[in-house]
Order: sequence, then C-alpha cells, then structure tokens
Amino acid sequence: MTCEEARRVIGAEPNTSSRELAEHVQGCAACAEFQLEMLALDANIRRALEEPPVGTRFRRRVTSRPRWALAASVLVGILGVLVVWALRVENSLAHEVVAHVIEEPQSWTPTDPASQAEVAEVLRKSGLLLEAAPYEVMYARSCWFRGHFVPHLVVRTAHGLATVLILRDENIGTRETFHEDGLFGVLVPSAHGSIAVLAADGAQLDDLAARMQIAVRPMGNAAAAG
Amino acid sequence: MRNYPSEVPVSSAGASKAAAGADLRVSSLFEAMRADLLRFAMWLTRDRALAEDVVQEALLRAWRSRDALKDPACARAWLLTIVRREHARLYERKRLEIVSLNEALEKEAGAFVSRDDSDINALRSAIFQLPIEYREPLTMQVLGGFSVDEIAGELNLSASAVLTRLFRARNKLRTLYGLSAVADGLCGEVPP
Repeated sequence: MTCEEARRVIGAEPNTSSRELAEHVQGCAACAEFQLEMLALDANIRRALEEPPVGTRFRRRVTSRPRWALAASVLVGILGVLVVWALRVENSLAHEVVAHVIEEPQSWTPTDPASQAEVAEVLRKSGLLLEAAPYEVMYARSCWFRGHFVPHLVVRTAHGLATVLILRDENIGTRETFHEDGLFGVLVPSAHGSIAVLAADGAQLDDLAARMQIAVRPMGNAAAAG
Repeated sequence: MRNYPSEVPVSSAGASKAAAGADLRVSSLFEAMRADLLRFAMWLTRDRALAEDVVQEALLRAWRSRDALKDPACARAWLLTIVRREHARLYERKRLEIVSLNEALEKEAGAFVSRDDSDINALRSAIFQLPIEYREPLTMQVLGGFSVDEIAGELNLSASAVLTRLFRARNKLRTLYGLSAVADGLCGEVPP
C-alpha cells in the first residue's frame, strides 16, 4: 500500500482498520500522523452533526398532528373497533387498562426503584396512601385514565415486574381476569374503587392484588388537603 | 427486563388485538425516532421547514410499509433510509427553488449557534456548505452509521465512488482546522 492509497482510505474511513493499512501506518510516521489528525477531525464532525442543528430553537410549525400519526391513530382506532366487535368485549375497562400500559413503554424497563417520596406523591394526587408497600416499587407515575389521575405503579415481585393501577373511580362488582396482548391481568374491587394488576406471568396476580387491597388507604381529609 | 412477551392469542380476534398492540408500539417507535430523523433531514435539505415535510412524508410512507420492519433494532437505519429516499424523491418530483447559500445560512443561522465551541460551530457551517454529493454520504456515514457499501447501494454508486466522495468531503473540512488538504490525485469517480 502506498501513502496515497493509505491516505485515501483514511480520508474516507478514518476508523477503518484493515490489516494492510495497519501495517503501512506502523511503518510510516507521516501517515500515522495523518490518521490521528483525521480521527480528531472525525470526532469533531460527529459532534457537529450530532448536535441538533435545530436544538431547542427548533420551531415546530403550527400544524395539527403529522399525517402519518393521523393515519396511525385512525388505523389503530379502526382495529380497536374491530377488536371490540370481534370479542364482544364487555369488559372495556380491562381493555383500556391494557392499552394504557402498552402506551407507556417507559414503565416496562425501570432501572432504579422509585423513592418513597415519589410513590407517596403519586398516591397523594389521588387522595391515597400506600401503607407498607408489599413489594419494591420500581416505577410510580400519576396517569390520566378515564377522566381521572390514577396511580400507575410497577413493582418487583419474585416472579418479575408487575403493573398496578389503582382505580379509585372505577367500581366493579366482582373479580375479573383477562389475558390480552400477552399480558395476564386481574381487576379486583377494593374498598376504594378497584385495583388492576397486570404481568407477563399470571401466577401471583391475586396475591399481589390482595396485598395492594390491604396496603392502599384513603388519605384523611387534612392530609389530602395538604 | 421487558415485562411484555410477544406471545399473542391465536384466535383471529386475538390476532387483531395483537396487531393493534403492535401498531401502538410502532407508532411509539416512530415518534421516538422523530428527532433523529429531523436532524438527518435537516443536514440533507438545509431547510428546517423542508426537513419537516420530508420527515412527515417519510413517516407516512414508513407507516404504510410498517410490516416490512421485521426487527425494531433496525428501525433507525430503516427510517433514515426512507428519509433519504424521500429527500431524493422531493428533488425528482419538482425542481426546488434555488436559494443562495448565504441566504440559506442567514435563514438558518439560529440553528447553528454553538453553545460553547466555536470550532464545532465553524465545522457545522462548513458541512452545511458542502455540496450535496459530499454532504449526503458524509452525513449517512457519520450520523446514520451506514457502511460504505450501504451508502453505495443507496446512492446507486460504486463503493469506490463513495470512498472518493467521503475522502473529498473530509479533505475540504480539513482546511478549516488549518490542516493542509491532501493532494487529490484521485482519478475521479467510477460510474456504478
């Protein structure tokens, strides 16, 4: 390999590492220096390109939702109607619970446990308390669901992660189970609305639901006001 | 740990529900990629409004072809390719109004305000001024992570031609840093 050939290769792909080039660079100080220069330049090119040219100053044009999103939402809507028709779904609450969980993918892979303060704040927004959480809470968020903010928790159990939605404003008569989109779930009535528990493994849903029924309490008026 | 396996019920109704769930996931995936796509399109078009149009059309096209996306891990490269093709189509469909480079730079000046590094800012301006035949493969390689062969396939060029363009793009940018440009004794691009 000649110097000209080496520089052409390095100039086009500074990170390239063919054996032929490596051998040439090892024996050619000038080409070795050239490669170092190009690697440094390339790092800066990357920085220049990666920094969003529009950054925070990007002006979103005043339009309605993008067309692809509209198409997507229309299709999802149509599929939803078909699904409801096909299954004659009586338990639309379960379906909406599943849809809500699917639409919140960041809850699927929590990395750090939620702090007690975070969990308390999420429950406080719904006028609730969690007394002695039965499992470690990995994710806690107050979510808008059927016209109300509801606590959306993900807890780590011996069988893996499980999602808990505390539905204070959804009253159901009896325990109901469901299996949808690969999720097992149970809806149980509680003294304060109902509780939905979902997980990939249906083994211990009832146990978790029972523990949550006991642990969740309404706040006192004074506390709720605070 | 992912909480939701991909197993779906086998009934036709179950399949419909699974499809709805899959569509929701694809929709979320597209939305998550939108910023990356806009950045890429911006470097191709040099016009933020045009970049938005390109991305919007590309996402619409991607949505219609979403079944072709078998592996979500490939979504980024897949979508970047669609954006690039949409940008190319835009040029095929209509002759774009030609604006002077100075005008374009002035128009987008706010987009190139560097927070803390004047060198990077200068480099960004220099990339912005590169002709499309150099800017496109460079952006695809550095920002998109495409290999030379992939770029060659996309641009319908030979690998040798792509290497030449990448070399020349970087050679032009070298001078910005006070580095001497390498003698370009290349024989020109080999037609695909």
